[in-house]
Amino acid sequence: MTGRKVLMDFEVTPTSHTLEAYLARGGYQALAKALRGMKPGEVTQEIVDSGLQGRGGAAFPAGRKWQVIDPHDGQPHYLVANADEGEPGTFKDRWVLEHSPHTLLESMLIASYALGVRHSFIYIRGEFDLPWRRVSAAIEEAYAAGYFGENILGTGFSCDIFVFRGAGAYVCGEASSLLASIEGSRGYPRNRPPRLTVKGLFQRPTVVNNVETLSNLAWIIGHGAAAFRQIGTPKSPGTRLISVSGHIARPGVYEVELGYSWAKFLHDECGGVSCDRELKAVIPGGISSQVLTGRDAKVLTPHDVETMILDHDALWQAGSSLGSGGMIVIAEGTCMVSLLRVMLRFYHHESCGQCTPCREGMGWLHRIVDRILAGKGRPEDIDLMYRISKANDGTTICGLGDAAGYATVAMLDRFRDEFDWCVEHKRSKYDGNLECRPST
Amino acid sequence: MPTIYIDGRPVEAAEDQTVMQAARAAGVEIPHFCWHPALSVPGNCRICMVEVEGKGTDIACNMPVKAGMKVFTNSDEVVAHRKAILQLTLLNHPVDCGICDKAGECTLQDYHYRYNGEPSVSVDAKVPATKFNELSDRIVLDNERCILCSRCVRFTREVSGSNGLGIEHRADHSRVQPSSDGAFRGDPYSDNVVDLCPVGALLSRRFLYRSRVWYLEPTPSVCPGCERGCTINVWHRLEDWKLKSVATKENSRIARVTPLENPAVNGPWICNKGRDLADLFERPRTTQAKVGGRPAEIDEAVAAARRLIATATRPVALVSSWGSNEELEAFARHLGGRLACFVKADHRPREGEVLEDGLLIKAGKNPNSRRARELFGDAAPSFAPGTDLVLCWGEGFDPALLPAGAKLIVIGSFFDAATDRADVLLPASTQLERDGHYTNFEGVVSAFAACFPRPAGVADAEALFGLLAGEDAT
Repeated sequence: MTGRKVLMDFEVTPTSHTLEAYLARGGYQALAKALRGMKPGEVTQEIVDSGLQGRGGAAFPAGRKWQVIDPHDGQPHYLVANADEGEPGTFKDRWVLEHSPHTLLESMLIASYALGVRHSFIYIRGEFDLPWRRVSAAIEEAYAAGYFGENILGTGFSCDIFVFRGAGAYVCGEASSLLASIEGSRGYPRNRPPRLTVKGLFQRPTVVNNVETLSNLAWIIGHGAAAFRQIGTPKSPGTRLISVSGHIARPGVYEVELGYSWAKFLHDECGGVSCDRELKAVIPGGISSQVLTGRDAKVLTPHDVETMILDHDALWQAGSSLGSGGMIVIAEGTCMVSLLRVMLRFYHHESCGQCTPCREGMGWLHRIVDRILAGKGRPEDIDLMYRISKANDGTTICGLGDAAGYATVAMLDRFRDEFDWCVEHKRSKYDGNLECRPST
Repeated sequence: MPTIYIDGRPVEAAEDQTVMQAARAAGVEIPHFCWHPALSVPGNCRICMVEVEGKGTDIACNMPVKAGMKVFTNSDEVVAHRKAILQLTLLNHPVDCGICDKAGECTLQDYHYRYNGEPSVSVDAKVPATKFNELSDRIVLDNERCILCSRCVRFTREVSGSNGLGIEHRADHSRVQPSSDGAFRGDPYSDNVVDLCPVGALLSRRFLYRSRVWYLEPTPSVCPGCERGCTINVWHRLEDWKLKSVATKENSRIARVTPLENPAVNGPWICNKGRDLADLFERPRTTQAKVGGRPAEIDEAVAAARRLIATATRPVALVSSWGSNEELEAFARHLGGRLACFVKADHRPREGEVLEDGLLIKAGKNPNSRRARELFGDAAPSFAPGTDLVLCWGEGFDPALLPAGAKLIVIGSFFDAATDRADVLLPASTQLERDGHYTNFEGVVSAFAACFPRPAGVADAEALFGLLAGEDAT
């Protein structure tokens, strides 16, 4: 077991996603508690007290985001659940959408109540088919049961929900371009200020939260902020859904209590590195978080790998982050130059092309790493890649451009020898291998 | 009025201004591609980064002013940043300035020499894109030169309203493309995107490869296309660069027309008709005075006309609504008492032309109708019984309407049916050959200046009126 559970606290069965099963688990009681017994401000305060951090990547305190909204300022407000889960390696929200859609819906109702929202949205990734069907079915169930619409539970609170399917752009997972996409425009991020909580969807104050962040609300309201703080670490309360993939024996989605031992998680729950290889590296939170070497984990934590914990602070200290919770495990024998090429091909393909540093920089980086792998690298290319990444740092409209630069820099920093070797010998040290099989 | 400090200099800014606007108002130029005072702020070129003390760097175009903020436009970090951005902007740009119409007035070129000036550090192939992408019969787009600042796209959305342009694809495959419904082809303001383009991506087909811009100079003028009277710059060959032996005709041709920014009339825009003034002014000219259809000296023709006016019993004058304020006043002074005057519409809307819209284009296609009507009244031209002389000034008179037996004097610049029929023809100069003023439909008076010398055999209408009235006559 990976510590206490908040979201994965039930057995997944063929019907566990239905309203009936959810009600049997005590569903929609937190909503009733909030609507009948709490004022909107008290709900917000409860979330602030719980210390819930955003689960989409930046780990921004959810309550702080909410506090910017004044539910009584007389204008419409919007709540958007960001279900455009596009970060490579991340598939945790998908689990919530498929297996526990009512948790999300109940939490969104609570959030809508706290923020004075009449219309809320779920922006769901276009490639998600089963999750979309499950969420849509859940919404129909909830409407039929009177949890959405007008005068919910007889309290006078009204809220409607809309599901909006994306069209496959990574950049639409960025909050402002997500809103542009809902508005029917091209998915381009926009500059701040003004922040989205001041001028967001349709120029109105809007809160955009990750699916997992929102899904915690039902539990927090149901059990209280104090109970939530009991879980996890003092600075990072709660749990994280971690989707593990890569060279790992048992890939999948796991709920891990923050502060849980990383090594134990990888070895015991996930079955360790495939084919009994040594651990070469881990990308802890989607490819935009900085890669950590197996060695890093030992060097940067107080003692050794056994005490490195999964927690935001610990990972920040190690020069990375828990990001979106998309953990990619990389076994010894993998070519990191090829891995960087895969990453840069993705960034190049998915850069929205709006602002100059990312539009031109990602393509340039991609072409350089392609050339290095083709045996035409020059020693100065590594420095050039650093320069291009640095030109992305803090200069782009949205955070995705910066993140791509950080990820590239981390790969270069931590596996510099491999890049140098590739340039010098005009071929990959590991023959460009990305797979982990007994024969390779 | 918060005070901010730009490079240590205190600058008064308005509450709702951005640092870019405040700096510009104070005469500090912060480099920019995508920002334009008349368009929205996309903040996508990233070159206008400035450093704010204690806050790091951010783009000036989207930075609200805050009392006491200290902005640095040339700190080490900002300079390094600009250089890095320029390297990226130029990464896939073909740098074919040698054959680019924009060279000489290209912001990318200017900034490169000012802020970078180093050769490319890339050894990889540039991303290819469409050359000579025909957006309409007026404009071609070179997608390789495009730096995707989106000014043209925003113009068609926010100003002209045609939504005729958009950006397709992503990353460095992004391309400006016309919408599939062909809206850009019908956009009557489409040529403004050529001026808006900070590089040479959007090119006027009329001006394509016609001239290097440094051989040209602008003369402020007024567009005679409609009652709006937009102020324009008429570009023509510089005196020092006049061609001496071959193609000397180019010396007196309009190379291009661009808007002359004027908040009182047209803002920074003009319509496509204004770009096509060359079509209007380069029609066959009347340069030979005629009497009774035979060539004559100008003095002889003036004398003949004066005799006709002096002897006529019921003369009628058709006054040109293309005359300048000065000419109209001279006409009223010299001939207004002698002839029954009516204002004539020299030009009527052509087939397919936009009649009127909410932006600039007005239905009246004559530049000075307002002043002409003030002087000569609103009545439509009519010929009382017994009319024995018609003095027609300007174009647009159908000689079939001439009363039987009446004589016709024409003061005109271009050949038409009336000049063929005229008993006396007096060639007059055009707007491009004299100074003057027009009064637009709102009463705003704008000045135009002479671009070219008067051709031989052509007189200024203003001078002719005095001669015709018999004053100063010899």
